[in-house]
Amino acid sequence: MIEIIRNKAKEWLEKNEDGCVIGYERASDGMTARPVFIYEPHMMGKLIFDETCVHNLSKYLLNRRGTRTAVVVKPCDSRGINLLINEHQLDRDSIYIIGVVCPGMKESHFGRIEDHPLSKCRRCLHHTPAVYDVLVGEPQPETASHDYSDVARIEGMSLQERNAFWKEQFGRCIRCYGCRQICIGCYCQECFVDELDPLWVGIRSCPEDNWIWNIGRAFHLSARCISCGECERVCPVGIPLMLANRKLEKESADLFDFEPGMDAATAPPFATFIKEETLEKVE
Amino acid sequence: MTSVIVDNNLHIWLKELAEKYILIAPVTSDGVTLFKHVKAPEVGSIDLQFLNTAVSPKGYFFPLSETIFSIGVERGDVIAPMNADAEVVIFGIRPCDAAGIALIDRVFLAEPVDISYKGKRDRTILIGLACNTPSPECFCTSVGGGPANPMYLDIMLTHTPSGYIVQAITGKGKELTPVTMVEEKDVPSPPTPRIAAIPMEGVREIMRRNFDSPYWDRVADRCIHCNICSYVCPCCYCFDIRDYAGKDKIDRVRSWESCQSAGFTRIAGGHDPRPTKGARLRQRWYHKLLYYPTLFGDIKCTGCGRCVRSCPVNIDIREIIMDVQKLNV
Amino acid sequence: MCSLSAANPFIPYPATVTGVLDLTPDIKLFTVELTDPEQRENFDYRPGQFAFVSAYGVGEGPYGIASLAERKTGLEFAVRRVGTVTRALHELEPGATLGIRGPYGNWFPMEDYRGKNILIIGGGIGMAPLRPVIHYVLDHRSDYSGLTIVNGARSPRELVFSDEYDLWAEPAQCKLELCVDRGDDEWQGRVALVPQVVSELRPSPDNTVAIICGPPIMIRFVLAGLKELGFSPAQIVTTLEQKMKCGIGKCARCNVGDKYVCKDGPVFTFEQILNFIEQF
Repeated sequence: MIEIIRNKAKEWLEKNEDGCVIGYERASDGMTARPVFIYEPHMMGKLIFDETCVHNLSKYLLNRRGTRTAVVVKPCDSRGINLLINEHQLDRDSIYIIGVVCPGMKESHFGRIEDHPLSKCRRCLHHTPAVYDVLVGEPQPETASHDYSDVARIEGMSLQERNAFWKEQFGRCIRCYGCRQICIGCYCQECFVDELDPLWVGIRSCPEDNWIWNIGRAFHLSARCISCGECERVCPVGIPLMLANRKLEKESADLFDFEPGMDAATAPPFATFIKEETLEKVE
Repeated sequence: MTSVIVDNNLHIWLKELAEKYILIAPVTSDGVTLFKHVKAPEVGSIDLQFLNTAVSPKGYFFPLSETIFSIGVERGDVIAPMNADAEVVIFGIRPCDAAGIALIDRVFLAEPVDISYKGKRDRTILIGLACNTPSPECFCTSVGGGPANPMYLDIMLTHTPSGYIVQAITGKGKELTPVTMVEEKDVPSPPTPRIAAIPMEGVREIMRRNFDSPYWDRVADRCIHCNICSYVCPCCYCFDIRDYAGKDKIDRVRSWESCQSAGFTRIAGGHDPRPTKGARLRQRWYHKLLYYPTLFGDIKCTGCGRCVRSCPVNIDIREIIMDVQKLNV
Repeated sequence: MCSLSAANPFIPYPATVTGVLDLTPDIKLFTVELTDPEQRENFDYRPGQFAFVSAYGVGEGPYGIASLAERKTGLEFAVRRVGTVTRALHELEPGATLGIRGPYGNWFPMEDYRGKNILIIGGGIGMAPLRPVIHYVLDHRSDYSGLTIVNGARSPRELVFSDEYDLWAEPAQCKLELCVDRGDDEWQGRVALVPQVVSELRPSPDNTVAIICGPPIMIRFVLAGLKELGFSPAQIVTTLEQKMKCGIGKCARCNVGDKYVCKDGPVFTFEQILNFIEQF
């Protein structure tokens, strides 16, 4: 599989001399992966693809607008590209998407690979990328149904229990914005917490503002989050960010029968206004 | 003969400390170890098997957010925050983290003194725990530290099968040592753990000569410019000062910030001397490995390895240092 | 419980706006008086230093002090409305409260310049930190040789301190050259860029110190011109501007390489600047 990725990437870069290939290389621990930017075809041997390639590389495409870029994507990452194209943030023609049929990623940390899959991979439905220019691997059938048992656990709590749960989780937040910076859906020129004039939230860390930050971000992503799980992976204090995102994802699926990022043409429900739509009171 | 406190007595001592002081100790929950305020009934939850906490304890002196003062909206009066008087004991701090606080001391205790920081330093006692098992990412010995380095601590504890060896380092530490719980035993010191060495020779000079190298842009390609490295670090101290206007009062708040975030050096009117990712990334390494050493002599890094573990895209300071030495060729 | 206000370097001195003067469409001159008599007495500052001015509820910013302490006119700041804090300051009227932290930074060593020709080159709001230097030389006229001032702006309405020009040009051996990037119907003076005017003046480098302040691009071209005229970097002095938060060397934001503009500057010679590792 890796040979095909390297060859396709090399072919593309030879034809697009000013371009860049974004893929994975071996990390400094000698066992996990990290993003790599390759500008010279003869360096393509650096590329790897294995069960430690967890990073969503499609965010980097936003730094390379106006240039030609090839990117290696897994199915979850590819949904991010569809989202960005739909929201007019990326030009489809300047991207060469090397889509990889994904075997699922193992849970890995620096210097350590666990022998079980990431929970997002255990519940993954789509093993074939939603968009690609070249497909590496044999297309796999979709897994049948969503597993929202993690969300159900929270839904089963009383309001007070839920409040206490989230208060404790968000209480650890140090406002590092790792979640925002890695997230493909977070690309505002000026994030609502950085807005100075007026000062909406600010960067003060206190329980109330940490709440607003995390819940605000989750809501900004509702019906847009493509469930790549990167936010939760990077959080240095282990906040279960995907729980919040997946709750909203479940709601979007129930209300709108909508799954973000499956194609570039369909706009997310909250970015869509259809004249014929009416508001109905939900009993 | 060494002074030793056995596990049972340690538990009693911790309870006493929690009753008399604000006890801060490492606690693991949901798989994450962080320093927390531990009350007396909770001392059983203290995790002394930890390698190191996810975030350094510098926040107990230089808080994540701190109200410097407030202004009453109605009368325009300045309300200085009251400095709490309670004494604090940080228990289980690693030598690298104590060294990190000392690096921040050089800046915050220099004239004009940051009196809030100084007040917290004066009221806090540091009880250290030597590292018998370093993390694979640790490199304290390459930056002037060590797994059993007692500097900057008031008391040092070293775990052995027969109990914790207790060393009082300072006068404050001696006063706090619970003499009734300490026994004199013949206990050999545990072997010094081996920590991989990072060659540091010539780094300063090579960096001075290679400021404009395209290397920094290349590394910055994968940097996502979050604040994680600066925030988990025991010796990063960049901060922001901003006013938060409430209904009754305006708070002027100091918060952590990172030189990595976009717009860190942008002035009103739009000019930014570090407009590129590479320029911002470069600032981090130059501050740690060149600017701070030029001003104070020591490298602004204690080898704790947190940034190596926590960087989402594996920007590894040890690799940076070794790459810098190759820039020389 | 002890109060933190004693000697807390982050707490400003309370002050009142005693005067507001419109200098240009977007620049105002604020005269400020510290409320506490002892703080007022001890607020001793020199040409080139700066202070943080707080618009409470919005924030604080560093501004070059535009007055000369010895003249006892009160503490003056020329502030250009360009961002959040400056916009809030521009709404203040006489009687309004604000906060002052300072004085910070180093200063122009006026004693070292005694006996020399002083060449002042300023563009736009850059004239603000140069004004106390001009006042000092005028007040100690016999201590200095020639005084030449080149003052430019984008347009005639944007020339700063125009009400003082007669006083600057009047004394013996003082020359004032004004120029604008583009004129208007009434403008009778030079329409030229500051670097051009400097080059045409052909100031001699002999026994001269050149003090420049203005937009980076102006400084760059003036520097090139002075170099051609034979000025050495040690004879050329400027004052730098960087994003600041604490002003006292602790927040690690205003550094240009290993130099902190708030502590090692803002006044630097070009000899020092040439040794800077970083661009500003």
